[in-house]
Amino acid sequence: MTAPRPYALLAELTYRCPLHCPYCSNPTRARNDGELTTDEWRRVFREATELGVLQLGFSGGEPLVRRDLAELVRDAREARLYTNLITSGVGLDKSRASELREAGLDSVQLSFQSDDAELGDEIAGARAHQRKLAAASFIRAAGIPLSLNFVIHRRNINRLPQMIGLAEALGAERVELANVQFYGWAFLNRAALLPTREQVARARDVATAAKARLAGKIDIFYVLPDYYETRPKPCLNGWGQRYLTVNPIGDVLPCPTASSAIPDLRLENVRARSLDWIWRRSESFNRFRGTEWMPEPCRSCPQKEIDFGGCRCQAALLTGNAASTDPVCSLSPNRARVDAVLRDLNLSIVATSDWMLRVNPSKDAASLINQGEALS
Amino acid sequence: MLMPAQIADDARPRLARGVRLQIDFATGKSVLLFPEGIVELNETAQEILTRCDGRALSEIAGALAEEYEVDLATLAVDVHEILADLQRRKLVELS
Repeated sequence: MTAPRPYALLAELTYRCPLHCPYCSNPTRARNDGELTTDEWRRVFREATELGVLQLGFSGGEPLVRRDLAELVRDAREARLYTNLITSGVGLDKSRASELREAGLDSVQLSFQSDDAELGDEIAGARAHQRKLAAASFIRAAGIPLSLNFVIHRRNINRLPQMIGLAEALGAERVELANVQFYGWAFLNRAALLPTREQVARARDVATAAKARLAGKIDIFYVLPDYYETRPKPCLNGWGQRYLTVNPIGDVLPCPTASSAIPDLRLENVRARSLDWIWRRSESFNRFRGTEWMPEPCRSCPQKEIDFGGCRCQAALLTGNAASTDPVCSLSPNRARVDAVLRDLNLSIVATSDWMLRVNPSKDAASLINQGEALS
Repeated sequence: MLMPAQIADDARPRLARGVRLQIDFATGKSVLLFPEGIVELNETAQEILTRCDGRALSEIAGALAEEYEVDLATLAVDVHEILADLQRRKLVELS
């Protein structure tokens, strides 16, 4: 089918990160060598603009680890992209915040693991909470619009009211309360992260009430825990429709979690091909584009242009087949797999609480694989 | 239907912090860019927003009516409506 124009590019500058959150969506077997250079990213930004991209997210890992971040922001602004920095805040001091502002950074999304320092640091696997509070004040002082991002899971979901309170106290303009999605490290740690049905119901009420109370003051985005839904999320607004991701080594992905969830996806690299060719012509971007690839029950479903069959990565992780209906859908023949996971959690008396903290990628990918297998 | 509060004629609308007005080269149309969002503007909205440079709402409506030789009263209704909508979405601030 003909390729539409993309709107947003996610630039994963590095997989290195000072935090070790057990729900990180980064691949569990990432490599750390051969990151794109400043010049290579500059070319990617220009090619993205030519394709129609308007929005750029700097992500990672932790993008502040890249010493050339301000230069990359300047390059992106020269390419007329709107620039968002998605960060843990660790590594942001006062001078770096104003350096980024001067480079033209448009907005910052700052992650928090909790409103509470002790719990936050435990989840991050690092002493990070106080540094995040400091980072928030530097961002405000530099006059950059601030969003707070919280990933919600069983260990912090009961603190939703306090987390919203933190966003108010820090003067955020926007808050994202995103229930954890099970990819990457989060998939490995699912048993420890999945909230109970009761927690989910309470959190939904808290989010709805806060939305109404803070309307016109703070925009609150609540991302549903999709295992508890009966219809799948319209993942990416359709594969290869609006978004593209370039990872630290230049592989171009229709979705940031696709490289680990769909290992047989043949990825193209910006060092070998133009972004335009990859977006329009590559097998990876065309594989699930449109509705032609769909099996039943999606193929004849009136919802197929609404949810696009759900999430390809979730289908792959839960059924072994990326081209099957997202098993979250109650019409999926595989819904029982999701129900079994929910039943195990909600009926068990003792829930697993041990999780495996994310480790940084090393140059030796094999050691990571062994570590993952030993702990899972 | 809930009626939006009327914006005063002497209010000075400006793009909110973090919001950028830009041409979308793929379509030739103007868009507003903001954190995690894009809004495509119609021609009237675009003409209004390019004049949100510290002028009062009444001056913006007056300038547009003169430039396009249209009835000021009719145009003023559009200007009020569009700015109220953008203010509600926190894309425009008043001072």
